[in-house]
Amino acid sequence: MDYFLALTVTGLVMGIIYALMALGLTLIFSILKIVNFAHGEFYMLGGYFTYYLVNHFTGLHPLIAVPIAGLGVALIGLFFELGFIRPIHLDKIERPGEYAILVTIGLSFFLMNIGLAIFGPYPHRPPSFFDAPVKLGFISISADRLTAGVLSVLLLLTLLILINKTWLGKALRAVSQDKQAAAIIGINHLRMNTLGFALGTGLAGLAGALLAPSFGVTPDVGAQPSIRSYVIIVLGGMGSIPGSIIGGIIIGLVESLGAGYFPDPSRGLNYKTAFGLIIFALVLLLRPRGLFGRKEL
Amino acid sequence: MKITQHLRVPKPWIIGVLALCAALVLPLFIKSYWLHVIIVAYLYAILASSWSFLAGYAGQFSFGHMAFMAIGAYTSGLLGKYIALPPLLDILAGTLAAGLAGFVIGYLVLRFKAAYLALFTIAFSEILRMVLKGETQITDGDHGLKVVKLFGETISRLPYYYTILAVLGVVLVLLFALSSSRIGMFLRAIREDEEAAYARGVDIVHYKILAFVITSMMAGLSGSFYAHYIGLITPSMMVLPQMGLVIAMAIIGGVENLAAAAIGGILIQISLEVLRELGAWRLVFFGALLVVTLRFARNGLLAPLFQHLFAFGPRAEGRKETLVDGD
Repeated sequence: MDYFLALTVTGLVMGIIYALMALGLTLIFSILKIVNFAHGEFYMLGGYFTYYLVNHFTGLHPLIAVPIAGLGVALIGLFFELGFIRPIHLDKIERPGEYAILVTIGLSFFLMNIGLAIFGPYPHRPPSFFDAPVKLGFISISADRLTAGVLSVLLLLTLLILINKTWLGKALRAVSQDKQAAAIIGINHLRMNTLGFALGTGLAGLAGALLAPSFGVTPDVGAQPSIRSYVIIVLGGMGSIPGSIIGGIIIGLVESLGAGYFPDPSRGLNYKTAFGLIIFALVLLLRPRGLFGRKEL
Repeated sequence: MKITQHLRVPKPWIIGVLALCAALVLPLFIKSYWLHVIIVAYLYAILASSWSFLAGYAGQFSFGHMAFMAIGAYTSGLLGKYIALPPLLDILAGTLAAGLAGFVIGYLVLRFKAAYLALFTIAFSEILRMVLKGETQITDGDHGLKVVKLFGETISRLPYYYTILAVLGVVLVLLFALSSSRIGMFLRAIREDEEAAYARGVDIVHYKILAFVITSMMAGLSGSFYAHYIGLITPSMMVLPQMGLVIAMAIIGGVENLAAAAIGGILIQISLEVLRELGAWRLVFFGALLVVTLRFARNGLLAPLFQHLFAFGPRAEGRKETLVDGD
């Protein structure tokens, strides 16, 4: 029973962080109607930025580096959107659907190689937020992961307030529902697109920055988290915000419990993301629109 | 107008035959090491042109092309190791296994929008890599699985060169035949407007699966050959940057032009070798070139050049003009 509870807590903490990253993907999908195939690379950039900041400015606490890294990643997302995504919405691009898939996977290839060229293939790890594992009763969890989880909860709440309670959030939702109608009442959908993309990539960057002290950063570190996010948004329903939060928690729990109860534990860890693929296939077979998705596919 | 059309002497097949002749005599002029580079370049040409058939004709984006290559390679390698199947048979088995995997995945996801295939194949590819890496007792993981060489102990690379050239030739001819057949027409119709094609009675899912299975088999075939050529395979052959490289080759060459995609593959692989001392920055350069090509030259960099020089390959831009001009 203790074992089960310990796995559940770890799964919940990780699930919240996964949700944060998947939420970024969902925001981009619901506002711009594209899947960002470079999402994992923005996660990677968040990790490298934190590492670089802490190493370059001695004495900077890693926790302060996290928001700066997130902001830096969001800026990169912003410039990419302006240069390469905005032309889609100005009708300058033929076959916009195909273009969006290709240009984001191209960006992913480019960023992965930049990471490799600058930092090399070996892992870099920014220093811990706090040392020593935390004991919650009988459950022991690393302070870094717990910090990341708690901060993710706070971030998620802030974001939900932003989206549901502010004018800006209303404008973003309006564009995601009907961009022409939004334009009629004076919302500049191009600006909302840019903002949405920057926000979404910034969330991936924050997730990367938060998890870098726990797992380290390599140029290809984004692959697993991005695949996880793809599974989460398909499970939750493409474009659904509650879907990606609940989907994230489900995937966190499935991975933690699945790996914990796998007959051969060392292999179980290896197959953590593989459970996600099974869920992906099951969703496509049984309920293609996901838990909370709209019906059109 | 009519006169220029008659003056357009060099027909595609003349160029094809000339290119083939050049490829046949090439080994006379280069060292063994460069022969190796060219053999690998031909493998990439198979991957890039088959990927571009799927992307440029059917409008389906698979990010699992390297995974199908790996399925071919590992099926061949494992069958050779455990039941000592002769190379030719296990290459056949590897090709079929890749086709089967393509069928299952295609059946599952090709009913949905294009993004689903991309999402699913990228996940499938990474997870298959984890499995091959993790199951060390069976696959030897990152140490690599030893595979018997196709031509035994001979050190000469010539037989491999001519074999892969033949495979590349067959693949290209097959893809050309497909693209100009009824099937190619249906695929184009699907790409242009899925709903309209469906309304005209094209069984869209059926043809998308067909294209996916055929191109996956080509990737599997190249993987099986690669295994028997190098003699050692590791899961790192299917990392995402490898997939990105093949995409870059196809797009920079010209995704709607099979020959341009193949030549893009060959040229990029050779330039990677020439620029070796630049290390990882080479791929940064090709990554940037890929993104910029997509944005500013959707037909690729080589395809428009070929069309200009030889009036070669299908002209995506030209079609509209003929319709308007009438004649």
